[in-house]
Amino acid sequence: MRVTVEQIDREREEELIVRCHDPGAAWVQGVQEAVSGQQTVCGWREDEMHRLKLSEIFYFEVVDDRSFLYTQAAVFEAKEKLYEFERLCTGSTLFRCSKSMILNAEKIDYVRPSLSGRFEAVLSNGEKVVVSRKYAADLKRMLGV
Amino acid sequence: MKNITLWMRRYVTVYGIIMLCTFFMCLLFNPTSELSVVSFFGRIMVFTLIALLSLAVYYSKEELTVKAWWVRTMLHLLLLEAVLLPLAHSWGFWQGGTDILVYAGFILLAKALWHLVDYGLNAKTAAQINERIRKNRLEKRA
Repeated sequence: MRVTVEQIDREREEELIVRCHDPGAAWVQGVQEAVSGQQTVCGWREDEMHRLKLSEIFYFEVVDDRSFLYTQAAVFEAKEKLYEFERLCTGSTLFRCSKSMILNAEKIDYVRPSLSGRFEAVLSNGEKVVVSRKYAADLKRMLGV
Repeated sequence: MKNITLWMRRYVTVYGIIMLCTFFMCLLFNPTSELSVVSFFGRIMVFTLIALLSLAVYYSKEELTVKAWWVRTMLHLLLLEAVLLPLAHSWGFWQGGTDILVYAGFILLAKALWHLVDYGLNAKTAAQINERIRKNRLEKRA
């Protein structure tokens, strides 16, 4: 595999483009984790601030204009708005799954269709969340379907 | 572009369902009636447009809960019946008596079919996603 490193001006935004045959390949995931998986976000719980890795987060949800981060077994309040968190997650395995939620694709156990024209994603901790059909296409693209 | 494709697909699906329902309705209850091809397809196009515009009932800034979705589905059905029945009558698709019940039944059937088609497409997508998740998991283990 060829690796190209290009030095650019300070004015230009740094970016990493991965050209691969299989976006779901382990090495691609590894690159994504190296770039964004170690990225952290602040979550508050009982007046304590916690640093959470993006890879730890199951989903981010906005309820009544308040933002929450859900991990395996805990819930933290976040300061970011939905669009800010979405921007933060660019290039990671988190994707917008509905009008008020950003979901970590890595935490999905399986998805099933629901009568309401949407999908129900069952997460590895047993929680069920809704994935809109509009955003299911993004999940497909992310997984390389 | 993604949205245009989605709505085009919806238009074609609804168009097909309405065309079949209207065809069978006329065949069963008004087999002697004659309608030019252009007129028939033109009216079906108008029906389809109305059916798609009525989907605005589902519009919400927030994600709909399952209960809210069912309420809006019922509202949508009522709206479709209220708009399409008089229009179909004025175009001579049904005459009176039991016709109205059968035509109302066809609208209900068409709506149910629309949701079934939707469900089927989603089931296919879900199967593709699950297969990919399963493969990714196996690759990680290997």
